[in-house]
Amino acid sequence: MSYLRQFNFLSVCLRMILAMCAGGIIGFGRTRKKKTAGLRTYMLTGIGASLAIMISLYEYEMMTNGLWAPIVEEIGMKYDVSRFAAQVISGAGFLAAGSIIAIEHQQVEGLTTATGLFASVCMGLAAGAGFYECVLITCVLIILVLNVFQPLERMYKRHARNIDLIVEFESVENIQQITELLNEKNASIYDIDIERTTRSGEHYPAAIFSMKMSKGKMSHANMISSIAELDCVYSVEELIA
Amino acid sequence: MLHFLDGLRNVTILSTFFRLMLACVIGGFLGLERSYNNKPAGFRTHILVCLGGCVASMTGLYLYLVAGLATDMSRIGANVISGLGFIGAGTIFVTHKKTIKGLTTAAGLWTAGIIGLAVGAGFYEGAFLGMILVLLTETVFTRLRDLIQHTPPSTLAVSYTRREELDIIVNHLRHENCKITNLKVAGNTNAQTALYNALITLQPNAEMDFTDICRDLEQIDGVVSAEIL
Repeated sequence: MSYLRQFNFLSVCLRMILAMCAGGIIGFGRTRKKKTAGLRTYMLTGIGASLAIMISLYEYEMMTNGLWAPIVEEIGMKYDVSRFAAQVISGAGFLAAGSIIAIEHQQVEGLTTATGLFASVCMGLAAGAGFYECVLITCVLIILVLNVFQPLERMYKRHARNIDLIVEFESVENIQQITELLNEKNASIYDIDIERTTRSGEHYPAAIFSMKMSKGKMSHANMISSIAELDCVYSVEELIA
Repeated sequence: MLHFLDGLRNVTILSTFFRLMLACVIGGFLGLERSYNNKPAGFRTHILVCLGGCVASMTGLYLYLVAGLATDMSRIGANVISGLGFIGAGTIFVTHKKTIKGLTTAAGLWTAGIIGLAVGAGFYEGAFLGMILVLLTETVFTRLRDLIQHTPPSTLAVSYTRREELDIIVNHLRHENCKITNLKVAGNTNAQTALYNALITLQPNAEMDFTDICRDLEQIDGVVSAEIL
């Protein structure tokens, strides 16, 4: 095992293949859900991250035991093995940021994909460094978080007491009607954001209601349908953050 | 490390020439597949990125090994990675359907740059191995990805005559243990038909048959139609 922690041809091959496979396992799960960052993205970034660290290990090896040792004796050792790794994290952050999009009505999408990619790159760094235990445990944990925890999160969101709705209605006076209905349903509104939407060429007023429902049995779908029953309401949609 | 390459590990004219050529060749191989699939970052982009990484890495080596300056030789090369993150982020774009495209191209460019860094440092084993694995990823695993299937959530479009129907529809679906993940209600824009429309997104589980669900919904009073989008 300690042979694989040293820098030789076999351990280089092993580390890169390990990084690729670990990234592949995570990407496999993401592709199944038809996410943006799929199998190949995770594998490519895993290969790149592990190669980056191995370049610095290579240069260090050359400076201590290899061809450049005489020059090191002359000038003095001035090398930081972790520099490549630090910049990989920075670069991976930028790549991941590219996959986050802000869509209409204050919604942000792609955040989990981005952070999953970031965590996977960091795991590739560990693989390149030869920190095999960490890679295995991290791989298991990332898969757990991305796959197993999602139903949990979804269940939480479905029963979440906070709900954001965007409602299109006839005129601004209708807001009072809507807020009365919401108060009847025991929802405490803590923000109303009024905007104008365009539909079939005309401008309709719309408002985003951010509210907290009381501990009732009202589900999100029920809340939406009860608002939709009002005459003045054209459409109702839940904003999923 | 492979010792037959030791002649090329120092910074000499021969090794410089060899590394630059090798960077072009490797970059070409990596870009070939992307060009073949008509992606924006193609053949020449990958060669340029690989070449840039190689030169940056070699410059760092030169400053320390040949010029004899007491500097960290990896600093220039390391920031290439950061910079390629910037370029990669610019390759990613949002389509009008609000989906992200170009992430795999960006990751491929990023990796090509790092392979260029490896070539520049003289780490031929790593660069070559990296190139093989990247080509493997791009070709073999593309096929694998196409084989992976999974049912995405389905959306039903339901039209009904009275506003109050929606509550009945929603309760019916919940009784059938359907998980409603999204519900969008649109009012009637067409005054003649006086119909209301709702788009209900359901998360399917194994036993669910959507045609059965639609048929059940249509049997509710007041529901005009229910279909799968």
